[in-house]
Amino acid sequence: MKKFSKVIALLLSLSLVLCFAACGGNTEETTAGSEETTAGSEETTVAADIAYDLTKEGEYTADNTEYVIGATGPLTGDAASYGISVQQGAQLAIDEINAAGGLNGVNFKLDMKDDKATAPDASTGYDALFEAGMQASLGSVTSGSAESFATRAAEDGVFSLTPSASADPVINASNNSFRVCFGDPDNGIMSAEKLAKEYKNIGVIYDSSDAYSSGIYDAFKAKMAELNVTYIEQSFDAENNRDFSTQVEALKDCDVIFLPIYYTEAGLIAKACVAKGCDAFLFGCDGLDGVASQIDATVTNKISYLTPFDVNSEDAKVSAFVTAYETKYSAKPDQFAADGYDAVYAIFEAMKALGVNNVKVDPIELGKALTATFTSADFSFDGVTGGMVWDASGACVKEPIIVELQ
Amino acid sequence: MIKSILKSDDFKLKNCINYIVVAVALVAACTLHGMGELKTSYMNLLVQIGYSIILAVSLNLVVGFLGELSLGHAGFMCVGAYLGTFISMQLSEVIESKIICLLISMLCGGVIAAVFGFLVGLPALRLKGDYLAIVTLAFGEIIRTIFKNLPWFGKAMGLSTGAVKFTKKDTPLFIIVFITVLVVLFLVQNLVRSKHGRAITAIRDNEIAAKAMGINVTFYKLFVFVIAAFFAGVAGVFYGHYTTPVMYTFFSYNYSIEILVMVVLGGMGSINGSIIAATLIPIINFKLQEKLPGDLAALKFLIYALILIGIVIFNNAPKLAPIKEKISIKAIIAKLTAKNRKPEDILNDPAHWDKIPTKISMDEVLSTDIQPGNEYVPDKPEKGGK
Amino acid sequence: MSILFDGLSLGAIYALIALGYTMVYGIAKMLNFAHGDIIMVGAYSVFVTLASGGHIALACILSIVLCVIMGVVVEKVAYKPLRGSSPLAVLITAIGVSYLLQSISQLIFGADPKNVTIASLGAVTLFGAKISVSSIVTLVIGAVIMAALTVFVKKTRTGRAMVAVSEDKGAAMLMGINVNKIISVTFAIGSALAAAASLFYLMQIPSVEPTLGSMPGIKAFTAAVIGGIGSIPGAMIGGVLLGVIEKVCLSVPVLAPYTTAVEFGLLIVILLVRPIGLLGKKRREKV
Repeated sequence: MKKFSKVIALLLSLSLVLCFAACGGNTEETTAGSEETTAGSEETTVAADIAYDLTKEGEYTADNTEYVIGATGPLTGDAASYGISVQQGAQLAIDEINAAGGLNGVNFKLDMKDDKATAPDASTGYDALFEAGMQASLGSVTSGSAESFATRAAEDGVFSLTPSASADPVINASNNSFRVCFGDPDNGIMSAEKLAKEYKNIGVIYDSSDAYSSGIYDAFKAKMAELNVTYIEQSFDAENNRDFSTQVEALKDCDVIFLPIYYTEAGLIAKACVAKGCDAFLFGCDGLDGVASQIDATVTNKISYLTPFDVNSEDAKVSAFVTAYETKYSAKPDQFAADGYDAVYAIFEAMKALGVNNVKVDPIELGKALTATFTSADFSFDGVTGGMVWDASGACVKEPIIVELQ
Repeated sequence: MIKSILKSDDFKLKNCINYIVVAVALVAACTLHGMGELKTSYMNLLVQIGYSIILAVSLNLVVGFLGELSLGHAGFMCVGAYLGTFISMQLSEVIESKIICLLISMLCGGVIAAVFGFLVGLPALRLKGDYLAIVTLAFGEIIRTIFKNLPWFGKAMGLSTGAVKFTKKDTPLFIIVFITVLVVLFLVQNLVRSKHGRAITAIRDNEIAAKAMGINVTFYKLFVFVIAAFFAGVAGVFYGHYTTPVMYTFFSYNYSIEILVMVVLGGMGSINGSIIAATLIPIINFKLQEKLPGDLAALKFLIYALILIGIVIFNNAPKLAPIKEKISIKAIIAKLTAKNRKPEDILNDPAHWDKIPTKISMDEVLSTDIQPGNEYVPDKPEKGGK
Repeated sequence: MSILFDGLSLGAIYALIALGYTMVYGIAKMLNFAHGDIIMVGAYSVFVTLASGGHIALACILSIVLCVIMGVVVEKVAYKPLRGSSPLAVLITAIGVSYLLQSISQLIFGADPKNVTIASLGAVTLFGAKISVSSIVTLVIGAVIMAALTVFVKKTRTGRAMVAVSEDKGAAMLMGINVNKIISVTFAIGSALAAAASLFYLMQIPSVEPTLGSMPGIKAFTAAVIGGIGSIPGAMIGGVLLGVIEKVCLSVPVLAPYTTAVEFGLLIVILLVRPIGLLGKKRREKV
């Protein structure tokens, strides 16, 4: 018995000693590393002065024959449709770039891992991508995963441009984290201003379980309080509620119902409106893109939403994208696909502007270079979701359009 | 009580093989890390394996040893992850060292989770089997629903733990996790081998008989739930320091089921089995995170489901039992070592208490099902005890 | 008033699913976690029939046939080999089957929700509240099915054999009842109920996705436990109660986000006060 405890004690202390020995050795190395990075971050405050070396080879990029753009997103599970859309849009962009000869003859490759919309899988996915030679990234698709991804990417200094994660913590996670879509607060504020000006009886249905929806709603609520306009709020929990009769019943006398949610639930709400005989105007944000596929002729409510992307747009660029997407996947692209497409092209354009000509370019050096490019005043990108410029926080500034259905 | 848990009843080399394996793995990983050979992805995988082992071993206490099905283990982990990490974040404003923050919050998170374990243990005194399973599932969902709506924890956005998260520059988290794993293993194995462990297995095998023997059933049931919840809470605190943000979506009942799968694949009532399964499943998840185009990613769930069904049917189907016995590793080992083994060894060795079939199969023996070709054959004599 | 009606029609769906759970649990003594996913299969079959231009009646028949086949096949392949082994093993297999069905349907139909167009029946005004006709239809047909099931179990030979198997499998076998066949029939009926539930579900919530069945499945199981598992009227009462409570909670903005917590909290309270559920039968414990 005593012998047993002794063995355990011995083993434990042995491992402790060894650990600390190992850590001790490591701390010395890392202090040197951290000094470097602090120096780096001081420099990033003055965007133009960042020093980078695009000829340097990365730790894991020695075997690269193509530029690798990494991403994670939900390819299975409840949110899978968003991840798959982004993947298809991004892949289409990659194929087009490669067909046109790539960057100085070097092709691109998209490497996308499934994160099931969970934070730990996004971080393991990041590690796997980084060690497989990823040079720039699209971050992740959903907000929580994207925050996790961006935090890990910030530790290394890898550039990430998320197509669709709209919550602010994602771009606040690091200096090298950018987004293509609107931020949640922007959506909320723009909607509040528009609705307060044009309508009297305002109702809101938001998803309390979703970061995107509650992010917009919080900004909307604050703005409405500031404008001193009253409204009726209703909420649901997308994991548990698919039946919206109660919420619509409570709001059926409103002129307008604000829906800061995704198109699937919005389609169900529109149908619940039919069942309840509610003819309110339904107004939403970019999450509503795709709602047309979820409703049918029975829905008579007027529906419109703020979005950067309109699938039926006359714009040559957009219609070319829509045609190409339909040929490849025999389905119409949604906003996620368009965001994925634009994110890849934005990175491509920035790399072209930088004159990158080294297939083994170090992701960390490239990260510094891309960050400098995106934050510089003269870089702008004109994609299928509109003309974009980026501010220092990583947020994208672009003009919304209002799409009206029916 | 604490004294008897800390002191082991006996010492045999084969009883502490698992400590040695875990310790050797830890030392090897540390050495590799010291040499700079260990990739970040493997270090993070080690953290996942570590907290999975803690979760599986603690759930095994409830499912394998107490014989009650719990589908809410992720709920306890959720409590630890949210509250423990929250405490750690408050501490980090005063204390600089992340390790000290982690250690204090581990204790706090564990204790808070244990309080919840006590609350869930209370219904366990009145309910059994599937009813208790559904209560634990309900508890897990309630916890999640509450955390996702409380403003202090970031609501739907989750708790951003960037301030306390262990980054590349810190001491690798896996070292602390694995030292904790060793401590947990030590406590759990000694508990199982002590007289308290025997009381717990007695309750599993026959509650009424255990009561008649003077065992305090109320106390032990609550005790097991509290201990298991404590460890799950600790695992949750690790989770909070390993990744950011802590989001309610992770702790869904699917995750509880994943932990249960680890316990079942490893073998209920087998701590070593839990360790192996809890090591394998994160590795499989990690390796399966490959690039599969679009909806084909669902293929891996398909394979996962098929493996699950196949293994469970193979292990449990009464008709397959003869085939299984022929090819099982245990049978082969038993055959090889048969000469050195005396029957008394098994009877007197508390380490073999875990070999007793679960309560559930006991019940079945008692309410004999007579089916053609499925007549009840009395088990080997050593089972009846002394 | 209208909240009450909404709750009733949601509750009717829960009750139908709960009936399937309660029958299988009562007779095969196993928790069929895949029951919710059978509903999903039924919903997809309705979607495919309607999308390829079939009539709604054809869709109903096809979905019931497909679900029954599915239920019986699952029982034969996955659960029958495990008869006589621990309930936990069966539970894990059921979870495996649930994952299997979900991933197969994602492979076939993709992850994005599909829109189902069932002709809207419009709305009527009743007691000063506007109610959609489909919820009234759901309620009425739901009640009819439940009544028919009660009669079936009480009056027919097969029904009585089911009760016998649920009371004592061994004794039933000695009485010459083919237990395996009875269990198969139970699964067939449970799956047919799931198909019916999928139709009513689509009437109210016209959209299908691979994970459609999981949450209603868990809610309905909760309803079955609240009502007392194994009891047909219990499942009805539990389902309706749960539906009404869900709707009442959702209508209060402060409470709405906590709806799930309230529902499951109610379950725990009921089980603590009355561990066998509202209408469950007490079983003596064997030593």
